[in-house]
Amino acid sequence: MNYRILILLALLSFHLSAQEGKKVQFVGGARSMLSTSDFSTEKSDTITVGKTTGGYALIDLGFKINPNAQTEILGMIRINNALGGFWGSGVTFGVRQLHVKGIAGKGIRYQLGNIDYKLSPYTCYNSNPDLILPSIGTTAIKEQIVNYESFYQSNTWRQQGAAADFALLIGKHQDEVKFKGFLFRLNPSNQGTLFERLYGGGSVMLKQHKHIQIGANLAQVFDVKETAMNTDAYRNQVATLMYQINHDTDISALELSGESGFSNTFSTEQLHTKLADYFIHVKGKTIFKKLGLTLEAAYMDNGADFRSAGAQSKRIDFNQQNTFYNRFTNEQIIRPLSYYDLYNDPSLYAIQFSTKLMTYNPAINNVLPYGIATFNRRGTYYSVRYSDKKSCLSMEMKYHRLGEIRGQGTLALRQFDYFIGSIQFKPSSLLHWKKSQTVFLAMAYQHTKRNSTFSFESIDLESYTANLGISCEIADQLFLIGNTFLFKSNGNEILPIRDAQGAIINFQSTVIAGHEYCFSGGLKFEFSKDVYISAFYEHNTNSFIAFNPYQFNQFQIAYIMKF
Amino acid sequence: MKRSIYLLFILVLFGCRKDELNKMDGPSLADLNGQFSVIVPFKASQDSVNFSTGESVYFTAEFSKVSSWKLELIGQSSGAIKEITGLGNTLTSSTTIWDGSTTYFPMFRSELCTARLTIQGEEDTLLTTVKITQPKVNSGFVIADFETAFNPGWSSFIQSGANMDFQIKTDNGAAEENGYLNMAGTVNWDWLIGLINFKATAYGAPTFPLNSNPNNLYFNVLVWGEPSLTNSLVLFQFQEDENGNGSFSSNAEDMYSLQLTVNWVGWKLISVRYSDLVCLVNGAPAAAAGNGVFEPNKLMQINMLHLANPASGYAKSKLDYLIFTENSPLNP
Repeated sequence: MNYRILILLALLSFHLSAQEGKKVQFVGGARSMLSTSDFSTEKSDTITVGKTTGGYALIDLGFKINPNAQTEILGMIRINNALGGFWGSGVTFGVRQLHVKGIAGKGIRYQLGNIDYKLSPYTCYNSNPDLILPSIGTTAIKEQIVNYESFYQSNTWRQQGAAADFALLIGKHQDEVKFKGFLFRLNPSNQGTLFERLYGGGSVMLKQHKHIQIGANLAQVFDVKETAMNTDAYRNQVATLMYQINHDTDISALELSGESGFSNTFSTEQLHTKLADYFIHVKGKTIFKKLGLTLEAAYMDNGADFRSAGAQSKRIDFNQQNTFYNRFTNEQIIRPLSYYDLYNDPSLYAIQFSTKLMTYNPAINNVLPYGIATFNRRGTYYSVRYSDKKSCLSMEMKYHRLGEIRGQGTLALRQFDYFIGSIQFKPSSLLHWKKSQTVFLAMAYQHTKRNSTFSFESIDLESYTANLGISCEIADQLFLIGNTFLFKSNGNEILPIRDAQGAIINFQSTVIAGHEYCFSGGLKFEFSKDVYISAFYEHNTNSFIAFNPYQFNQFQIAYIMKF
Repeated sequence: MKRSIYLLFILVLFGCRKDELNKMDGPSLADLNGQFSVIVPFKASQDSVNFSTGESVYFTAEFSKVSSWKLELIGQSSGAIKEITGLGNTLTSSTTIWDGSTTYFPMFRSELCTARLTIQGEEDTLLTTVKITQPKVNSGFVIADFETAFNPGWSSFIQSGANMDFQIKTDNGAAEENGYLNMAGTVNWDWLIGLINFKATAYGAPTFPLNSNPNNLYFNVLVWGEPSLTNSLVLFQFQEDENGNGSFSSNAEDMYSLQLTVNWVGWKLISVRYSDLVCLVNGAPAAAAGNGVFEPNKLMQINMLHLANPASGYAKSKLDYLIFTENSPLNP
């Protein structure tokens, strides 16, 4: 065997020794938010206090210590001071991040502690099936805050444990083989009925010259037996094969890629409830380099019993209550989660993934509620991407035509149409203006239909989502920002009610009819790319509770810094 | 060769899924939305049952559609109720098995029971009967069930307040069998109304015969909340003889507590894991005076104090069936 260890990544992203030789550095961020809200309903409401003012200032202060060129230790604490909470009251301290990472030997990269991790779209992947539209302007500021607070970084899940990777060059062609391994703790035992639950696995990826990549992934959630007074241990095993075949020329590039695999989900004492299934996802892509055009077509077949905890967890469980105006009207009815809350309240978001199927809102995303790995979906999707050479105009459109594989409560199957597109126009690039001007429009349309001769089985649900954003530099570093966000849904769904093991035990018929509109505008001053202050006003109306529509008016000042 | 490999790849990837067109997840919507009727009559698996020997009884029925059902077993003389609920179109042994346990007190006795099945959204009520020849026997160490007079090994102190009634009673108000401890009175100068010290020596040993693992041991008691009175506090103190000298030193040995504010109405089962008990001083959490280790095998005395704010007037509560169980809380 003629192979040797390759020192990898250490020379690329992991530039420990390159940080100007400093042994201790300060990293982190700071944010200050100030908001005043005015909530009102059309019906009489003498109980809910309409106006609130709140805010906070926080700093995440991290100490990055490099005791040697191969090791990095990061500890980050958070000090949060609620508005009006001087002299100790309203001040909280917490640990936001702790990790040690480095290179062992000559090529094994390791990390211990808090790790932001992903593997593949069907094994460990933090998809975002609820904030489906990309955006700029005010909604982009809010989304950045949510992502920062919830540790969402390019589809990673925040984990606690250990991970390592290394690469080898093998054979006379020096083919590269990358290895990854990880073991995370999802929850500790309570010494009673709750097991110690771990998540472990890894991947092997072979890159054979520049045309072929093939790899395998394994991810497994498992309870450690004898860590609880319980014998019914949970297991979720997912194994997948990934591949990518490229053919690249000066004019175009062709790519065939995909991921296929299977899952087993069971508890050791209830094997009769075991779920086992497989999925296939294959994608063909053509890039016309001179035109800046990319065409893509894909086929997916995600079995009805395919379960992958690391890839099917949602960021938001819709079976939770708001923390902001969670009740209103004189009857103090519960205010369900809305897009307003999704953009404004980071506390609604999960940091850890769940082994249970989380509740979704069919009005927001009924087609792929658990991301691309959503089970019980089969069909095709097509996408077009275009970007001109001056980066003046760029656009992306994707259309899914999917259907169920197995019916729910009936042999009739749901059919889904899902279009999502965005277009970005930068006149400043076209006209060579010094000041940046950007107009961005994103839209999504979903249609779910199930035809049946019985009215109690029929489903017809449509949703429209659109976000028009602008960001215009009106003076040096000063931007006018604004958004028009529209969301509308009409129709009916018959949602499954599941037991603790995820089996469907009943259905709830739901009629959906309403809209949510949000208009916002303000100013943003960029001191630098990572430091800015913004002040904006927004007006939000919501009519999804037919007899109790409500509206928010809100003014916010946000100062955000990363260092 | 390359083309063959690519072709093989594609063929493997597009392998045909087995047909699922005849399968569905969950109960049939047609069943859920159809006309309700009873297909298999409601009946018990046996006419009489002896729960004391570990026997159980279950109930069967089948409906034309999936429904939410509620099965109530009602003791005709005690008034005890066992409630079992479910969702489905059949009642089977796995969903309706009854081991003689109780949902709403008092506990069942040797009596005839009515089994009543109701279906949500339907007017029909299905009835049958089961006779309990012997009620369920609970395993565990019974500290007191008040079926006989005061154990001479216990000690007690009762204030001389107004309307005092601090004694064992055997009327129809017991939660378990016939007797219970009634605790009532007005003491306007002190929080204490009355107390009983349950000493291990009353049971023939210097310490209670309990498992040493505090995570596996549960203290259970049935406590009565008097309608319109919420001022009773019931405090249990668990004194451990850590050094084994036969006496308890409050300065050097652990005393764990369980304080209950009796703000409910009727009988309620309180079950606490021994390791979840806390150290209290005047009702506030405090550090353990001894080694701070839960050692139920060294428990030498349990004090029960009935308390009430002296300004709150008349207070009343009742106690029944103090029992330690292992591995799980009492399933009465």
